[in-house]
Formats: sequence, C-alpha cells, structure tokens
Amino acid sequence: MGMAEPAYTVASDSETTGEEKSSSAFPEIAIGIDVGTSKCSVAVWNGSEVELLKNNRNQKMMRSYVTFKDDIPSGGVSNQLSHENEMLSGAAIFNMKRLIGRVDTDPVVHSSKNLPFLVQTLDIGVRPFIAALVNNVWRSTTPEEVLAIFLVELKAMAEVQLKRPIRNVVLTIPVSFSRFQVTRIERACAMAGLHVLRLMPEPTAVALLYAQQQQQAVHENIGGASEKIALIFNMGAGYCDIAVTATAGGVSQIKALAGSTIGGEEILQNMMRYLLPDSEILFSNHGINEIKSMGLLRVATQDAIYKLSSQTSVQIDVDLGNELKICKVVDREEFEEVNRKVFEKCESLIMQCLHDAKVETKDVADIIAVGGCSYIPKIRNLVMSICKRQELYKGMNPLEAAVCGAALEGAVASGISDPFGSLDLLTIQVTPLAIGIRVEENNFVPIIPRNTTMPTRKELSFTTFRDNQIEVLIVVYEGEGEKVGKNHLLGYFKIMGIPPAPKGVPEINVCMDIDASNVLRVLAGVVLPGSRHPAIPVMEVRMPTVDDGHGWCAEALDRTYGSALDLVTVQKKI
Amino acid sequence: MAFLLSSSQTSVISLLSLSFPIKQQRPRVLVNSVSCRATKVIGSENNSTNFYELLSLSPNNANINEIKKAYRNKALQYHPDVCPPPMKEESTRIFVQLNAAYKTLSDPMLRKEYDCELWGLTNNYASTLKMDEDVARTRWQEQINGLKMRSNRRMAQKEGSRGSKIRAQNMRSKD
Repeated sequence: MGMAEPAYTVASDSETTGEEKSSSAFPEIAIGIDVGTSKCSVAVWNGSEVELLKNNRNQKMMRSYVTFKDDIPSGGVSNQLSHENEMLSGAAIFNMKRLIGRVDTDPVVHSSKNLPFLVQTLDIGVRPFIAALVNNVWRSTTPEEVLAIFLVELKAMAEVQLKRPIRNVVLTIPVSFSRFQVTRIERACAMAGLHVLRLMPEPTAVALLYAQQQQQAVHENIGGASEKIALIFNMGAGYCDIAVTATAGGVSQIKALAGSTIGGEEILQNMMRYLLPDSEILFSNHGINEIKSMGLLRVATQDAIYKLSSQTSVQIDVDLGNELKICKVVDREEFEEVNRKVFEKCESLIMQCLHDAKVETKDVADIIAVGGCSYIPKIRNLVMSICKRQELYKGMNPLEAAVCGAALEGAVASGISDPFGSLDLLTIQVTPLAIGIRVEENNFVPIIPRNTTMPTRKELSFTTFRDNQIEVLIVVYEGEGEKVGKNHLLGYFKIMGIPPAPKGVPEINVCMDIDASNVLRVLAGVVLPGSRHPAIPVMEVRMPTVDDGHGWCAEALDRTYGSALDLVTVQKKI
Repeated sequence: MAFLLSSSQTSVISLLSLSFPIKQQRPRVLVNSVSCRATKVIGSENNSTNFYELLSLSPNNANINEIKKAYRNKALQYHPDVCPPPMKEESTRIFVQLNAAYKTLSDPMLRKEYDCELWGLTNNYASTLKMDEDVARTRWQEQINGLKMRSNRRMAQKEGSRGSKIRAQNMRSKD
C-alpha cells in the first residue's frame, strides 16, 4: 500500500451505483474481482487473454480477511500469516461476504457467532455488532469497512502490476444476494475508491467463460455452431449458486438462476459440531482461551475435510487446551451423513433451476462444477447423477472460472474489442429473485418474477382495501416467500391524495423498471374509472431506499399502520 | 390511451401494449423508461413493426432455431451492454421489444395465438390460418382455471376484509 494516491470517491446516498461517469477517451479495462467468502482473486484482460494477477508472494488465490493489529489493519493480500492460527486469534475478521448487508435476526449471522471474532446480535433486526480483538480490546468495525480495506489492498496490488490507476471493476456476487446487499457491496467499493461497472452473479461469470470457450471451439472447427445448454454449479465457502445457460455465437443467455446461503462454512460448522457437540456453548463467551480453542478446532476440522476429498477416512488429533482433546477417526460416510441436509439442499437447488429453465437433463450438453466445494466427491457425484452423466466439463479451473468470467465481462463492458473475436461476447442476465409488493394480509405479490430477462419493465394493478381510503403504502420486497416476512425489504413509500371512492374503485398501478445499469425503480400512479389521466402525480422511487435495520423498519411500519393503508390485488375486468 | 394496463391481463400480448405517462411528466426519466408501444401491433392503428420484422424473420417458415439465432444476433447488436453509453436508452427500449418478440415466437402456443391475431387483423389471412383446435381448447381451459382462481381469491379476500375490519375496530377502540 502507499503507492497509489488515494483518489477515493464515496458514493452519495442516492447514487450508490453510477451511471458511467468516465469521459476519458481511452477506455480503461475494468478488472474482474471474485471476492470469495474464503478466498479472493483478481484477473484482467491483457490484450489477448485473461490473466490472473498475483500478489508479492506469488499467490493467485488470496485469503479474504483483514487483521486489526495496533493501528493499521492489513488484509490477506499483503499480509503474511506466520501461522494459520494467527487468523484465528480474534484479531482477524473474515467471512465478510456472509455478513454483509444482513441483520441480526438473520440465521446466517447467527451461525457466524461461533467464529473466532465477535459477532454480537440483539435479535431485533438491526445490523450486528462486529469487532476484532486488538490488544485485549474488542474494536468495532463493519463488514463494509472490512471489505473496503481488503479491496484497497487488491486495488494497490493491481495498480503496481498493471502500472496504471484502477477504478473500474466487475465484481462477482452470489445469486441469493438481495438488492440491499448489493448496495452494501457497492458502498464498500466506493469506500475503496472503486467504481462498480457491473455485478455478475457468480455462475453467470462462469457461463460467460464457457460461452467464450465454445466460441473458440467453433472458430477452431472443433464444435458446431448450434446452441449448447450448460448447467453451472458453483459452490464456495459461503454460497451455493446454480445457473442454466444457453450458449451460441458468444452469447450466453441465462435461462435460470438459483442460489442459497449454503457452502463450505456450513459443512465446516456441521463437522465442528459433530466433533465437539457443545462447542457453541463452550465458545459463546469469547474469552482469549476459548478463541484459541475455537481456532484450533476450526483448523483441524478444515484440514480433515480437505483430506476427505482424496482419502476415505481421516484421523483427527487435536489438543484444544483446557483439557479438551479430540482424537477421532472420521470416514467419508460419516462426513456425508453429517452434511446430508447440505447435500439435499444442493440437489433441490439444481432441480429447481432446471425446472425454472424448462430444460430436461437430456438437453444439457455440459455440466460445469466450480468453486471450492466442487472438490468434494459427494458434490461431484450428486451433480452428475441428477444430470445422468458420467463426467463433468473439464475445460475450467474450478477456482479460477468465476474471476476469469468477470475479467472477460470487464473487457467487454469497457468497450474493448479483440481482432480475433474473443471478446464478441454478451451475457443476457435474468433477475435472480422476484421483486414485488406487500398486499393485504402481508401477502407478497411479485411484479417482476424471478428469472425475468433484464432490462425489463413490468406492472400490475391494485386497488384500495377500504372505502374512502386516500392513502396507500407501497412496500417493496424481494424474494420468493409467499408472505412478505420471508423476503427482503427494499423500501417503501406512500401514495397520498387518492380521491375518495368506494374500496376497489381507484386503480393503483405499480410498475417496476430495471434499466440497463440494473437500477430498480418503482413507479406508482392512480387512475379513477372513466378517467384517462392519473388522478395525482405519479411517484417514482429508486430502490432500495432502506438503510440498515430493515427488519426493524418492517415491524415499525406494521405496528404504526397495520392494514390501514393496505392494497388489494385487482381481479380481471372483462 | 389508457394510463396503465390492468393487472390481470397476463397474456404476453397485452403486457406489451404498456405505455407510460411518466415520459411526458419528467423527461429525465426517459433514460430508463421503456415504452413498448412500438410492439403494439395487435388491434392498434399505428404502423409499427411486428415481431417477425423486429427479428428480421420470415413469418411463414421461421423455425425455432432460426428464431433463437435471430434473437441472439439482434441481442449482440442491441443489448445495452454492448452499445455505447449514448445509445443505452434507445438500445434498452429495443432490447425489451426483442425480448418480447422472442418470448412470444419461441413459445409454440403463444406464437400460434400471435399469428392468428396478427394475420387476422392486419391481413386477410384469417381464413387460411384458422386457430387450431388444440389452441382453442387450451385457451378455454385457461379461462376456466382463471375463473376458479379468481373466485377462490375473491373468497379469501372477503374473509380477509372481515378480519381486518375487526382489527381496525380494535385499533380505533385503543385510541
């Protein structure tokens, strides 16, 4: 650090994502960054191909963590750990990708409470308190801050190697991220002086790399030019994401996405619980000795899981201190049984994605399994058996595929072309989650269903819930739950001044628009029957509008208004 | 022209005939607003292009592979991601239309319906392109299902409103 002048720009409240502001005549090639829950990598189009950047220790994959020591935090890009355990001393914060943009009622936050740093929850729907242990003091931070510190290091590393300032990036994100979480990622990037040119759900980045490979095969007359369907399974430490893509002529048309917050971390915690059943209670008070024990158990378990990918049983032998010793042989069957639910969830996600894509397994040409968990034999087997195949696609490095795809997108989005046509690529994205509003009885009505091709614009009509209702509350949610409580709150606004009329008469039209920059706007207008013009000015609100503590917001709205300002779905008029 | 379209018209064709008043009110919004009016071929008097013309296809014999290929080629030309920033607004508009065209023509059922209405209204092909019996039957089935769903929802709604009336009363009495 220190070589790059900190030309940091912090995004304003209303504009966390930018319209392209660069006016430079020379297009700067955006770099691709894959910030994983556990590891991170950076790649860039070097003029003829994608190249992964290495840190000064010659690593392409860098641990995603930040250590708070004395006054200067340092991350896994530049920092050299003397030992794995140093990361588990309480001073290092990691897994920020699982924590970012989540409230303290979120199960994922709760499962992070036995990490060796402090994750404190009040269980009221506000952001959790996160702190690192520095000189025996819990020093508070936020996931955004930790991510920003880490990104600053990545930026500096890339600037040294590419000998130019870096501003534009393409970042990969999990499919299941809500739009609120996306704004947190963008905020972290802005804090680090980076401008997010595009965010790609991880498997769609892999899909783009696949599209390029297929295109090259056509050029070299290896494959035919006809459409190929691929299933992409991407499971890392934090998330499991699936995509079905139809590819031809360099166009990757995403048919469906599915994602969940299950990953290696879940598997690791299941195993830790299996090895030491009361570990959570044991570690709950986060004393220095407990943190040390927790760290030791984590390292030993992680090690055992890695070994079980290549051998059928493993001997675990670890002294956790405080007269706690674990000495156990675990075989692969036990491991698979302990994590049965994780594997079942993977299966159901694949089935759901194929179903949503309206694709039969026989039509799938290639099955691509990437991410750290794709090395687990059970995962490979389940992916192959669902698709009734004997083998997986071989043309990709499972750990590098997503970042390579992001780098390709970075070059394409920067307007770079390649004389050999290697960048004549396009990803046609879909919405990973449905977006809709709350209606009576806390029901969720999707306006833009999931897997809708973007950009898009959709609308539905609603009406008032009671006679002479002059105000309605539009509460926007994202997710798949039938009740709004299961979904992510994105924002809310009120329509006022509706001319008094019996219930069911005013027509309240709610329209949702996702533009080319993936910005969501919600528009709402009111018309009375017999009129051709809106009764009051149309409201246009850019979403999300919620700040932290959105769980809290939803409850407050409910407490204050109840159903007084509710909407009702309109039935078809014939 | 009607302000916004009524919710329940869920068929693709009716969804395409949206148009938005926002355009006139706030010109800035134009950047991101997508008007699909150009695709309003059915029953409209304007002379906009139809889905086949949009995708540069021949309506009589375009097969599914040709439709897919045409869509991809057009996407490579008009997707906002591949267009220069000043073109973004226009390309978004075009791409949304292309999408609607692709969605309809790549679905055999929707395509048949579209063809019937297109030729039925703009040409005298109606006599040669009779609506297939199975299309008619499926439509009928859909209507029945729609009616059932509607009556179920209406029942649920009635119950809902009763419940909330009580709740509202409770709220008032608390005050």
